[in-house]
Amino acid sequence: MAYVIGVDVGGTFTDAVLDDDAGTIIAAKAPSTPPDYSRGVLDVLGVLAEQLGRPLEDVLTDTHHIAHGTTSSLNALVMGNVPPVGFLTTRGHRDSIYIMNVEGRYLGSSPHELQHVLGQTKSHGLLPKRHALEVTERIDRDGEVVVPLDEDQARAAIRALLDDGLRAIAVSLLWSFRNPAHERRLRELVHEMDPEVFVSLSSEVSPRIREYARNATTIMSTQIGPGLRDYLGTLEDGLRERGLRGPLLVMQSNGGAVAARQAPATAISTVGSVLTGGVVGSVALGQQLGHRNVISTDVGGTTFLVGLVVDGEPVRATTTVINHHPVNVPTLEVHAIGSGGGAIAWLDAGGNLQVGPHSAQAVPGPACYDQGGTEPTNTDANLVLGILPERGLLGGRKPLSLERAREAIRTRIAEPLGLSVEDAAAAIHAVQNAQTGDLLRKTVVEAGHDPRDFVLYAFGGAGPAHCAAYAAEVGVAEVVVPLGPVASAFSAYGLASSDIVVAAELSDPAAMPLDPVRVEKAFADLETQVREALDRQGVRYTAVSLDREIDMRFTMQLAELAVPVPGGPVDDAVVAQAGRAFERRYAELYGEGSGFAAAGIQAITFRVRGTGVLPFSPRLPELARAGSADPSAARTGSRPVDLADGAGPVDTPVYDYRALRAGHVLEGPAIVEVPTTTVVVPAGRTGTVDRLGNLSITPRQESSR
Amino acid sequence: MTMPIPGSERFSSRPVDPDELAASLPASLPLHTVSQEQIDALDPLTYEVVRHRLWSVTDEMGEALKRMSGSPIVTDANDFDFAIGDELGQEVQVGLYNTMLVGAVDLAVYWTLRHRAANPGIAEGDMFLCNDPWVGGGLHQNDVIVYQPVFHDGQLFAWTSAIAHEPDLGGVGLGSFSPSATDVFSEALPTPPVKVVRGFQLQDDVADLWVRRSRVPMLVGLDLRAKIGANSIGRQRLLSVIEQYGADTVKAVMKRMMADAEQRLRDKLRRLPDGTWRASGYQDQSHAGDRSLHRITVAMTKRDDHLTFDFTGTGPQSGVVNCTYAGMRGGVVSAVLPLLAGDIPWAAGGLMRCFDLVSEEGTLNNATFPAAVSRGPIGPAWLTGSLVAECLSQMLDRSVDHERSVQATCCGTWDTAVLAGLDERGSQPVPFLNLLMEPMAGGYGARPGADGMDTGGLFCIPMGRIPDTEMTEFLYPLLTLWRREEPDSGGPGRHRGGVSASMAVTPYGTSVPMGLVLASAGKSVAQNNGLAGGLPGNTGVEVLARGAGMAERLAAGELPTTLAEVGGQQEFGACYAESHLAPGEVFYMHWQGGGGYGDPLLRDPEAVARDVREYKVTEHGAQEVYGVVLSGGRVDQEATRARREELRAGRRHRAAPAGPGPQATVDLAGARRLDDNLVEARHDGAPVVGCAHCGQVLGDARAEGRLRLARFDGPSSAAGPQVTSDPALYVDDEVVFRQFCCPGCWTAVWSGVVPADHEDHALDLARLLTAAPSAG
Repeated sequence: MAYVIGVDVGGTFTDAVLDDDAGTIIAAKAPSTPPDYSRGVLDVLGVLAEQLGRPLEDVLTDTHHIAHGTTSSLNALVMGNVPPVGFLTTRGHRDSIYIMNVEGRYLGSSPHELQHVLGQTKSHGLLPKRHALEVTERIDRDGEVVVPLDEDQARAAIRALLDDGLRAIAVSLLWSFRNPAHERRLRELVHEMDPEVFVSLSSEVSPRIREYARNATTIMSTQIGPGLRDYLGTLEDGLRERGLRGPLLVMQSNGGAVAARQAPATAISTVGSVLTGGVVGSVALGQQLGHRNVISTDVGGTTFLVGLVVDGEPVRATTTVINHHPVNVPTLEVHAIGSGGGAIAWLDAGGNLQVGPHSAQAVPGPACYDQGGTEPTNTDANLVLGILPERGLLGGRKPLSLERAREAIRTRIAEPLGLSVEDAAAAIHAVQNAQTGDLLRKTVVEAGHDPRDFVLYAFGGAGPAHCAAYAAEVGVAEVVVPLGPVASAFSAYGLASSDIVVAAELSDPAAMPLDPVRVEKAFADLETQVREALDRQGVRYTAVSLDREIDMRFTMQLAELAVPVPGGPVDDAVVAQAGRAFERRYAELYGEGSGFAAAGIQAITFRVRGTGVLPFSPRLPELARAGSADPSAARTGSRPVDLADGAGPVDTPVYDYRALRAGHVLEGPAIVEVPTTTVVVPAGRTGTVDRLGNLSITPRQESSR
Repeated sequence: MTMPIPGSERFSSRPVDPDELAASLPASLPLHTVSQEQIDALDPLTYEVVRHRLWSVTDEMGEALKRMSGSPIVTDANDFDFAIGDELGQEVQVGLYNTMLVGAVDLAVYWTLRHRAANPGIAEGDMFLCNDPWVGGGLHQNDVIVYQPVFHDGQLFAWTSAIAHEPDLGGVGLGSFSPSATDVFSEALPTPPVKVVRGFQLQDDVADLWVRRSRVPMLVGLDLRAKIGANSIGRQRLLSVIEQYGADTVKAVMKRMMADAEQRLRDKLRRLPDGTWRASGYQDQSHAGDRSLHRITVAMTKRDDHLTFDFTGTGPQSGVVNCTYAGMRGGVVSAVLPLLAGDIPWAAGGLMRCFDLVSEEGTLNNATFPAAVSRGPIGPAWLTGSLVAECLSQMLDRSVDHERSVQATCCGTWDTAVLAGLDERGSQPVPFLNLLMEPMAGGYGARPGADGMDTGGLFCIPMGRIPDTEMTEFLYPLLTLWRREEPDSGGPGRHRGGVSASMAVTPYGTSVPMGLVLASAGKSVAQNNGLAGGLPGNTGVEVLARGAGMAERLAAGELPTTLAEVGGQQEFGACYAESHLAPGEVFYMHWQGGGGYGDPLLRDPEAVARDVREYKVTEHGAQEVYGVVLSGGRVDQEATRARREELRAGRRHRAAPAGPGPQATVDLAGARRLDDNLVEARHDGAPVVGCAHCGQVLGDARAEGRLRLARFDGPSSAAGPQVTSDPALYVDDEVVFRQFCCPGCWTAVWSGVVPADHEDHALDLARLLTAAPSAG
């Protein structure tokens, strides 16, 4: 028996999924335990072991590896709960991180915030200026030393930081990705003075052109590195004591994992790990269901996350934004497109109905939670419409107050608009679906794709009540609600199914046509780095693949596009092919004829991504087949439900998911109550329970009845 | 000044009466419109759903334009915008980039409807191109708009547009800017609306005609395609919205969006006091060799729910510091949108119905053909916006509800420097042309409740950005010695104006001198005024260090980071000049920070100590301007109290007497706020203006029309360390630091760096004692 375990440490709950190599998958949940999240991890592993009926030590001894995603680093950055760090940079350029290219004022803001210029601030500085010191040195764009490093002056600067009590120092010098000698020497100087100080170099964390993002990335990595090192150290010690022999892996933003021991050096690469778990899960589920193109939607109480899988591969991005700073982290592209179930419905000064972007958060939560919230939310509307059961969520463990929901909608929306409470609730539900549809469409279309070519997956507590409607808005025919044993821990399932991914990149900007020798050398160096990094993980792979790409742009453009490049020797033909691939991708994104090769093409950054495939990853087990398509055995009754489709309240059958079997077919309108969520099958649509226990919702004529 | 050219009036576009415009169109161009009943019949659900969808369409157009453009001024500085308009071009939804362009886009569509509908016709599949600032679309010739009519069922349904600044479109000067131009014929040729796309096909003859004029034809060609692409995306998306919801519904939503925005702005205006507020500002120098000041003045009158901006009294058009009517309107919009409509959707077609403009033709911000206008947006239009913002802030400052929207003036221009020469770093030398973007990192004005944002950017380009030093050095043969926030550059005040930054570059990788063209303002007078006694931010300064020998000094391991360390023979750059930058020399730019709010002597000493720790204010500045004395980084309370008293005594000592008047005081308990220092109270049964700090009566309408304040005129350097050079370097006019103080407690009520003959609107009692706000 060998297990693989995925653990997803969230702000409130720690989820875990365990898979054995014999087709069993179980999931467990335990409260997260800040500030020492490792206790919650051990707790949830204990719950898994209990379910297996085996001592935790035995389970861990038989565990091939644990893949672990954590939100704690990201939370620490967002909340500013990080230790003070020092910053060393090139003389004359300290203020890059304060000027923030001006864009630090508004990056990551919603349209609503963008328009309200007087509401913006630049108060999110990375560190006080006295901790940002300049060293005399200068390197030019070709990597040539213009002014050598003044070591005496550098020692004085380091001494000043150490005397101020700092235990971690970020070093980011101009053009260090072309010549890292000065950065490396600075690390030596720091360690000569105090070998215990944590040092990050921008040439290692993010060897990419554009110093502001590189500075911010290196500083943030330094802010979370020591904490991550301590946390993972504690966790790994705890697991080893309890018998774990296989590797402890940490999920990265790029959708792959690395060994826990390797993570702190480039800690920033782990910040988005929890956000990407769901996308990785969608890739894995898509493989089992034969879906190559998937829109992954994860709707929680306060967030609505969208990721894309195209041709079996997750769509990637090279940069993300944290606290209004650009951060160079290769990541799976996950868009937060608004708020989830807790999105507040309100009337603007013109009396127009709006939903979101503000959310009632966990506290006070929707009005129907009866925790003091008075503003109407999506969840309140869904309760009034009959979509959510009056007896409450989680099979009644989370009671809901219909009275409070009605009251909130009546006073805030219905009366001012002259509508009935029911009509107001229907309007909220419909506005939410339509706006979600707009944002989904924008996300898919701006990535250069047609939503009609996709299947949509909907998970998270608040998604399945809306997914069929927002999918219809964008023309997606098939919706899958993953409901098997991992329904409540889909992100942890994603973690358990991840492989090791290591990426290395280097900016070497030049104009096309590139010198093939230079390109081949750039890739060869990166591939050596990636292979060494894969070796350092201490894991056995069944296969290793290396993918090359170049970020290219037409001369002077701000944004680059990542273009895949084949492996092997590079000659003029390969370079020319990359140029053509860039132009093709450009035309896909912006339309035929929008490109203009005569302006010249530039290659900016080279990247290699190495994937080490692990010996096994979980497959969802098959559900028992139903004797017939007729689901009446699972029907628990009916209630009037208004699906905001203009039909008004309709008596709608309600099914208990636990009694459904593979092959059952539900004609919409129907409601499926799952312990962790509620699924709506709209009128005119058919829900089919697939062999893995997922509910697939399709237009009626396409159903396989 | 050049004589007006007969026949050029035809190209002057003005806002129109939509009904009259619609009625004037030929039968060959049927319009799609809806009735008021259809608009009223919209249910809130459909309205919100379609409105959001239209937002998404506009946003997609902008993303596409931004990512496809090859101009750094678009991709980096975000000097561009885009819009969706109704069948007559009234703007329904606009982008959040250069907000001045919003005031110009619809003018081009109106003109096109008037002059192109019959011949050559306006048809499906057409796109027009225009860079004639008299016609509209942009504010100067470098702003190029591409816009298209969108048809549905054979009827003209809507207009989409995409507009961006192009780096060079010909003319005698680099970047199409000639600091010594005497008229528009020295600049890029204005092109009235021409069909660049016909039957969905880019017309090669027109495209060639277009790019042929430019020094960078390939970039201009790329941008042309980017704009066409953005419009195509807009059309496709708009048609799919129509397909889903029906043309009438979509149009009803568009009309209602404008009506809704208009209504909300009118409601807000109705709640504000009626009155008239004035502001005057200056551009120093109008062209290379000029040494005079050029005034724009505005009187803003608010009556009920309507604003009138009257620019009568503005100086005659001169040199290159002029803009057309589109620029004046753009300037007004750039202030009105963020200050009055920050919480209202920017359906600009509706918002712009809430104001009208009064102006004399042939003036700085309503220039007639053939005035040179290439400085239009960043000179006169910008100043127009700053002055309108100053008037709005005076009006809004009275009410605690609105003071969140009050802001001292931000960085008052975009200092431009164009460098062009030979890049010899590669195997083949190649020519380059670079507009230095860094001066976009200006400071924001302070607010009654907050400091101005340090290097926050430019107020009229909310989403501007500057490039990384590495990207600049990759592209151009330059080495950036430093780029840093400048302490003391923010306007001193109870809340401090945002600091600006400076940069210094030296040629690197070229053996021949580069051409350098300078265009800027605010070097002798302040363009970044404070409010309520707050001081202006720094004056701008450009310095050329000749003979600095940088190559040898870098080789010797030196990296200078101050002008003193740079050495050499330092020349001050004029506002407008053509010069050069040779290898070994250093070019330094320091642009403007934001104005302060309130008297700096009232600033919390701890905030000053924090500013000193964060290098926003020097210890010297803390003592001289804020009266805060630090000891070991901490506030020395006793010394600070003494220093502040000393500074107040200094104000008393240096001031001219306030003139005779009653030495009465008012009871502050029942007084109503006018701004940080002034209250309206009753005295002897009549409304008077009193000092908010000591209660002294400062103005009584029964006795005199002006506030009774102590006046000080001194050299501009007396304003503080933010005044960085002698005004006599730039202009012949006498420039002073002027401060008006309460003669009771010596709190600063108004501070400025202005010409000696500046009209003191600050003393105008009528701006303060106006009718109380109407109920509701």
